Amino acid sequence: MDILKKIFIALGSMDRRFIFLLVGFSVLLPKLYPDFFTLPIKASSHSERVFAEIDALENGAKVLVSFEYGPSTKPEIHPSAIALLNHLFSKDIKVYAVALWPDGNFMATEAFSAVAEKYGKQYGKDYVNLGYKPGGEAVVKGLASDIRTMYTVDLLGNELDEIIVMENVKNLLDFDFIFSLSAGYPGSKEWVQFACDPLGIPMSTGCTSIQVTDIIPYVENDQIKGILSGMPGAAEYEQLVRNTLSLRGIDVNPGKASINMAAQSMAHIVIVMLIILGNITYYLTRKSTKKGGVK
Amino acid sequence: MFLKRQMPTIIAISVGLFILFGHFINYEPIQHFVDNDATQWFDIIASFAIFLGALNMLKLQVLKVAKKQKNWQYSILAILGFAFAIFAGFFFRGANYVNLTEIDPDKVTQLITHISTIQDIKDPLLMKKSINSSLADYEIPKIFISRSNANHFAGLVSGLATDVTVGSKPWGAHVQIEGSLFSWMFFKVFTPLSSTMFALLAFFVASASYRAFRIRNFEATLLLVAGIILMIGRVPVGELIPWWVVSTLIVFGFGALIAPLIMDKKILFGIIFCGFFASIGLGIIFDWSLAVNTPEILSITNISEWIFDYPTAAGSRAIMIGIALGIIATSFRIILGIEKPF
Amino acid sequence: MDYMEIFGVWLSVFLTLSIFSYLYKDNPFYKAAEHLYIGVSAGYVAVISFWQQIQPNLFGRLWPRIDGNAEMGILKSIWYSIYEFLNWLSTLGGWLDRSIFPENGIKGFDQISFIYIIPFILGIFMLLRLVPKLGWLARWAIAYIVGMAAGLRFYGFLNSDILMQVKAATVDFSGDWWSIFNGLILLVGTLSGLVYFFFSKEQSGIVGKVSKIGIYFLMIKFGASFGFAVMGRISLLIGRFDDLIISNSAENFHATMWITCIMILLLAIWAFLEKPNNGDAVS
Repeated sequence: MDILKKIFIALGSMDRRFIFLLVGFSVLLPKLYPDFFTLPIKASSHSERVFAEIDALENGAKVLVSFEYGPSTKPEIHPSAIALLNHLFSKDIKVYAVALWPDGNFMATEAFSAVAEKYGKQYGKDYVNLGYKPGGEAVVKGLASDIRTMYTVDLLGNELDEIIVMENVKNLLDFDFIFSLSAGYPGSKEWVQFACDPLGIPMSTGCTSIQVTDIIPYVENDQIKGILSGMPGAAEYEQLVRNTLSLRGIDVNPGKASINMAAQSMAHIVIVMLIILGNITYYLTRKSTKKGGVK
Repeated sequence: MFLKRQMPTIIAISVGLFILFGHFINYEPIQHFVDNDATQWFDIIASFAIFLGALNMLKLQVLKVAKKQKNWQYSILAILGFAFAIFAGFFFRGANYVNLTEIDPDKVTQLITHISTIQDIKDPLLMKKSINSSLADYEIPKIFISRSNANHFAGLVSGLATDVTVGSKPWGAHVQIEGSLFSWMFFKVFTPLSSTMFALLAFFVASASYRAFRIRNFEATLLLVAGIILMIGRVPVGELIPWWVVSTLIVFGFGALIAPLIMDKKILFGIIFCGFFASIGLGIIFDWSLAVNTPEILSITNISEWIFDYPTAAGSRAIMIGIALGIIATSFRIILGIEKPF
Repeated sequence: MDYMEIFGVWLSVFLTLSIFSYLYKDNPFYKAAEHLYIGVSAGYVAVISFWQQIQPNLFGRLWPRIDGNAEMGILKSIWYSIYEFLNWLSTLGGWLDRSIFPENGIKGFDQISFIYIIPFILGIFMLLRLVPKLGWLARWAIAYIVGMAAGLRFYGFLNSDILMQVKAATVDFSGDWWSIFNGLILLVGTLSGLVYFFFSKEQSGIVGKVSKIGIYFLMIKFGASFGFAVMGRISLLIGRFDDLIISNSAENFHATMWITCIMILLLAIWAFLEKPNNGDAVS
């Protein structure tokens, strides 16, 4: 028993670089040996809500997708973007991309390059990428009033009036749905405050895990219709989209988020074990300090 | 003094009032200005502020090199990085394309072979379909950073179409197009640096949790338990935790809650063990190992979803309302000229 | 073989591992990568802001494209000669190609909006912050931004974050007992959390008890935030490892493996050489 105590106390003072190695391996091993680590993914009610809202949109509907994330948060949100575009393009929905973050431009371009061609979608006819504008909520407010005041040309320099899909699109009221792929400020909150609440446009969001607890009050109040929380949320949505599209005869590859869930699970288990271990060590250390007479 | 002190306050007050009352004034020119022009001005000035930040950074790094302060050698890298981004953005377009007019339909396969030498083709059939649908005017789906590479490729495919031209994407669009020098810088320099900076935090979060996350009191316990349940419940492994583990944890958790109220430890342990055996017994009798029979409360995933949807939402809502009240108070103070953050 | 692409892969792996080397300890690789990041990100944001906002929306409104052959009035001619002068400056006296100021104006808008001289001037004032004697002019531009943000946020936060959230906190007693229970949890949690933040009254007695309940709800919220924060960080780490694994393919000449080995060797040599001089705190 004493030996066990001494082991725990020794573990309590181990160099943090061993912890780094432990965390690193917990993520790396499932990536290197995916066959040993396969886990079923069950969709949460929030992911199911997002799926249901998008699936309820009719063919030909117009959806604004806002890219407010960059390479630093790409692993969490980009899989949602890919799954969303798969879902939208499979239903012949017109997609309009904007970005409130400068990096959002490249994320949007990358997402469209990965998905559009598969469904035979043409730029300008089925989707358009309007690009980034600085200003956060001021941009959202401007779009709510008149898109052409904000954007005169799209990302590639084409005038808006020359783009087929921009015909009869004047402001946000011409959209049937807004989807915000958000990693912080400006992001989902600004869309809720300046577009969706004042104008009554339905909206969903895919956001980073860190932001989720801040956004949940909007979700509870139905201001945001469902939320894809971080990579697990993206994995759940990918699963739902893949299953549904395969029933409709469209083959979709397993998304990156789904593939990474095993690594995510392993890392979480390791961190929980570390927390429990740390507390056991703390308890034993405190006990031996008390027994030593100094309280 | 008036221009330095009072004038900014007057600007802030008048703009703030104008924007606020713009919501309530039904006069088209004012509404148009508030909804469109005022927001555009904000965006434009914000862009200049971004420039200011960049130039300020440059100034600090140059001063560091000039005065040979500690680690000044690294500041040279900062300056070079900035210079490269400016060069790729303003001085070198690096976005050249090759356009073919009137492609010979019999030479489409040859064209695809040439394209495969400069980029990966995921689906050759899809590419063939794409080329066949635009034989009159087709742009090679690859952007060349250098003009000479574009010219070289144009030379290779010159016999496959009536006319082959080499062009450059317009200024402005060149910073967005995948394959340009600027996008190369974004994907190969900015992206790895930015992503890895954030990814580093995973290690430090784990180390900090191990060293600092201690159950010192009831509040800390609540924090820890909520965090652990959510961490396990939100990932697929949460689904794999069997009902009897969850029921055991619930029984022990309940025991921990009532422990301060029961002085006699024997009674306490008795209650806990009775609860434990009762839950196991019920589980065997009602066959909770079958997913359809398992009560919802005995699933970590369901518990974590409930914690997320209700207590967490309540706490978040309280914080959200509190922050909103603070922001409204501060905005009001700015509009009235009491607060002058500038 | 695209040499630029392969060089790019090796560079990205090197930069990634340089940042990760901080896990061992602060070292020259990390410092170099960090400084490069500072420089590149500042330049990147400046370039994007310019081409996405300033050039099309400011210069495009002040000097929209005109028909080069059409006759212009005197004032318009003078105005566009300023445009040509700015172009002359931006091309360093005609030495570089036209870029920021294309021929005959910037496409996008139809008419000149002279009112946009105001944000142009305010923008210049903002940049004058760098000049010590004229730095006070930046206050005007900042005042505009602050006033604008105050006006915008007042309405947005009042509507979405207060009125709608207060409305959402109400309990619907027409539902089943479980939804009523959950509704009560939300209401009690929200109210008690708000009571906790009320510091104008001493938190004792009944206020203290309600505040205590509020703390419990806030602790659950912070625990959830912690859990999600861990989740988010691990996701980002997985993303990096994904890229490192892809970069280790044969097409990229096993970049990850080679750079890892070389970096470990160099760091070992550096650590060995640094040891006698090491007076700084380690980890």
